[in-house]
Amino acid sequence: MSARHSPSRKLLATAIAAIAVLGGVSACSSAPSSGGGSTSGATTTGGTLTTQFAGVPISLNPALGGSGGSAIFTSLPYDSLIWQTGDGTLIPDLATDWKLSDDNKKLTLTLRKGVTFTDGATMDAAAVKASLEYFLKAGGGGTRYAGPVDTIEAPSDDTVVINYKSAYPDGPAYLTQYWSVGQIIGPEGIADPESLLTESDGTGQYAYSASDSVTGSSYTYVKNKDYFNPDAQQFDKVVVKVIGDPSAVSSAITTGQVDFAGVNPTTAATVEASGLKLVKAPFFTWGLTVADTQGTLNPALKSAEVRQAMALAIDREALASAIGADFTHANGQMGAEGTDGYVDGFGFEYDVKKAKSLLAEGGYPDGFSLDVLTENILDGQTTISQAIAGDLGKIGIKVNLVVKNSVPDFIQASLSKQYPAVIWPVVGANSAQVVSNFIQPGVTNPFGNTNEKLSALYEKAQSETSASARTSAYEDITKAANEEAWFAPVLSTDNVYAVGKNITGVTASALNPNPLPQAPDAKYAWKRTK
Amino acid sequence: MVRLIVNRLLLSVVLVVISSLAIFFLMSLVPGDPARTILGANATPDSIERLRQQLGLNEPLLSQYGTWFAGVLRGDFGQSVFTGDPVVALILSRLQVTLSLILLSTLVIAVLGATLGLLSAVRGGVLGKLLDAVSLVGLALPSYWVAIVLVALFAVTIRIFPATGYTVLTDDPGRWLLSLILPVAALSLGGVTIVAKQMRDSALDVLARDYIRVLRATGVRESSIVFKHVLRNAALPSLTVVGLTVVGALTGAVFVENVFVLPGLGTLVTQATTSHDLPVVLGVGVFFTLFVIIVNLAIDLLYGALNPKVRVR
Repeated sequence: MSARHSPSRKLLATAIAAIAVLGGVSACSSAPSSGGGSTSGATTTGGTLTTQFAGVPISLNPALGGSGGSAIFTSLPYDSLIWQTGDGTLIPDLATDWKLSDDNKKLTLTLRKGVTFTDGATMDAAAVKASLEYFLKAGGGGTRYAGPVDTIEAPSDDTVVINYKSAYPDGPAYLTQYWSVGQIIGPEGIADPESLLTESDGTGQYAYSASDSVTGSSYTYVKNKDYFNPDAQQFDKVVVKVIGDPSAVSSAITTGQVDFAGVNPTTAATVEASGLKLVKAPFFTWGLTVADTQGTLNPALKSAEVRQAMALAIDREALASAIGADFTHANGQMGAEGTDGYVDGFGFEYDVKKAKSLLAEGGYPDGFSLDVLTENILDGQTTISQAIAGDLGKIGIKVNLVVKNSVPDFIQASLSKQYPAVIWPVVGANSAQVVSNFIQPGVTNPFGNTNEKLSALYEKAQSETSASARTSAYEDITKAANEEAWFAPVLSTDNVYAVGKNITGVTASALNPNPLPQAPDAKYAWKRTK
Repeated sequence: MVRLIVNRLLLSVVLVVISSLAIFFLMSLVPGDPARTILGANATPDSIERLRQQLGLNEPLLSQYGTWFAGVLRGDFGQSVFTGDPVVALILSRLQVTLSLILLSTLVIAVLGATLGLLSAVRGGVLGKLLDAVSLVGLALPSYWVAIVLVALFAVTIRIFPATGYTVLTDDPGRWLLSLILPVAALSLGGVTIVAKQMRDSALDVLARDYIRVLRATGVRESSIVFKHVLRNAALPSLTVVGLTVVGALTGAVFVENVFVLPGLGTLVTQATTSHDLPVVLGVGVFFTLFVIIVNLAIDLLYGALNPKVRVR
C-alpha cells in the first residue's frame, strides 16, 4: 500500500516545491516597479512610472502624432510652448510669457533661455519658428488646431510672433502639450523627420528609448539629463504600455503592473473596490448629428422643426441611468458641464408630445425612415446608438442603423456623403470649439454645411477680447446651436482613470480631461509617495 | 526524406503565394484607408491624397501586390506604413514571445495529454469517465474565456502570477516562466483534453490487440508493454492531433496574447489588421504559413521515426 502511494507523495511533494518556487519568483516579481531615487518630504523621486494607454501612437513624430490623451507619446520627449495644468490653467513651459493682441490676431511668445534640444542645438526663436512651420507643412491630423496661421516671425532670439489671418483666441490653448503644434522639434529632427520615429529630438523631461521599447506594445522614455528644470523630473523612466482590452487594463492596474490607467466605466467599480483612486472628468458629448441639413438625401431633415423634434424625443435621463450614472450624465446641450459656454439648466428636455407636434409642423406627422451611421468602437455594442434609434421610433422615425466596426471605416463612410445622420461624440473646451465640428468640414459635417447665424456667433466669440465677453458669446453659441438642432445632444461621458495607491498629483477637469505625468513645474507633476 | 523536404519546400513557395494573394485581396476588400487612419478625422483631403500617393496606395491592386512580392523575392518584406519599421524587424522583435507560447503549449499538450490519456486507458474506471467529461468541457471552453478566468483567479484574486506582460527569457528566466504559465495554461487546456481523449481511445484499441495479450502471457513486464508497445503505437494518431492543436494554438495565441498583453505576433497582427497596415499583415501571414508548413513537415518526419511502415524513403 505504502509503495503504491509513494509516487503520489512524490508528486505532491514536487507540486508543493513547485508552488513554493513559483511563489518565491512571484514575490520577486511583485516588487514595486520603482526603485532607487531620492526622497523628499512625503514623496520620493526616481524609479519607473508605468502608465497605460489604450492604443498605439499614431506617430512618434509630434507633427504627425495624436492629440488629447495620446499626446503622452510625444509630450514626454517634446516640451510644448505652454503647459496646461489639470484644472485648465495655462502656465509657462518653453514660452515664459505670451500675449494676444487686442484683436486676437497676433500672438507674441517670449521664450525661455538656456534650453537645449537633445541634438545639442539651442532652443531659440529660429528653432521654434522652424518647428512650427514644419508642423504646418507635415500634413498631420492636428494641422487644423494650429488655427488660421498667416505668418510666423522670429524678431529676436527669444521672441516668436504668430500672425493669424483671423481672430484666434484659442491660439495659446492649442500650443499646450495636448496639441502637437505646440510640441517643439529640434533642427536635426526637422531635417530628417524619419529619424523621429526611432529617436526623439526635443527639450522634454524624457527622451524616447527605442532600444527599451517594443513597437506597438510598450514605449520607454528615459530621463533627459539636460532638462531645464531637473526639480520637476519625478521619475528616472516612464513606460507607456499599450493595453486596449478593458479586462486586461483592469487586471494590470489592480495588480500594480501599471501605476495609472484609463478604465472603462464598466470595470471602474471593480477597480475602485480594490482600493484604487479614480479620477474622472467630463469629456465626450454624445449625440445625433444631422449631416444632411439641406435635405439632399432625406428631405425631412431640412426642416428645423423635424430636427428639434428628434432632439426632444430622446430620453436622456433613462439612457444615462441605464449606462451608469456615475460616469455618464444626461446632457441636452452640446458642451459638457464645466466647459466654457455651458449654460446651467439649459438644453433639450424629453418631451414626446411636443416632439410629435413639431414633427407634424415640419410636415411629417407619421414620421419617416432615416439611415444613421454609427460605429461600435467608441460606442461599444452601439448602446447609445440603439437607445437613440429606439427613442426616435417612438415618434415614428424608423431608424436604420448602419454600424461600422472601426473608427477609420466610420470616418471614411461619413465623408462619403451617403449618410444623412451620424452618431459620433464631440469634444471641446468651449462651445466655439464644439460648434466648429458642425460648421467646418469634417466627419460631423461631411456635406460642408454652413450656417450664417452660427458662423457669425463663432466669429464674434473669436474676436471678443475679455474672458467674460467670450463666455457670454460662447453661451449664445450653445443656445443658437439648439435652435438650429443640427446636433441632438444626448449624454456627456467622463474620462475615468485609475491611479495607483502610491501616486499623487493626478488631476483632471472638463478643461483638461487627459492627465499627463510630467509638468515643467514640480508642483503640477505626478509624484510617488514614500 | 530529402525528397520529402525538397517537395515541401517547393510546396511552401506555392502556398506562400496563394496565402499572400488571399490576404492581399481580402484586405483590399475591407473598408478603410491607411492614409485616413494615419492622419485621423481632421486631415484635409489634400494631405490624405499626398500620403496615399507616398504609400503607393493609388497603384492598381495587382501592381501593388507585384511590388510587394518582388520585394519578398529580394528578402525585403517592406515597412510598416505606420511606424516605418521594417516588417522583418517587427516580426523578429515579436517572435520570441509567440514561439515561447506555442512551444511551451505544444510541450504541455503533448506530455500532459499523452500522460493523462495513457493513464486513463491503463487504469480505466473513474479516470476514464472523468477524462471523457473533461474533454467535452475543454473543447467547449474558448481559450479567450479561459484566459480571463485564469487572470481573475490566479493574478487578481490569488496574486501568484502576473496579470499581464512578458519578461524576456535572457533578462530573467524565472519571471519569463512565470509570465507564460497562465497564457500557456489558457492556450493548452483545449489541446490537452483533445490529445488525452485521442490517446486514451488509441491506447485502449492497442491494449485490446492480440499481441498485447501474447506479451502479457509471455511474462513481459506491464510497464514495458505500456511504454514500449502501447505508447509507441497509440502515439501515432495522437501525433496528428498534436500537430493540429499546434496549428490551432497559433490562432488561439492571437486572442491569448491580447488578454495577457503579450507583445507577440498575435497582438502585432491584430493591431496591423485594424489599422490596415498591409505590409505587416502580409509579413505575419507569410510567417504563419511557413510555420504551418514546418509543423506539418515535422509531424511527417516524426511519424516516420515512430512507425517504419510509413517511413519516407
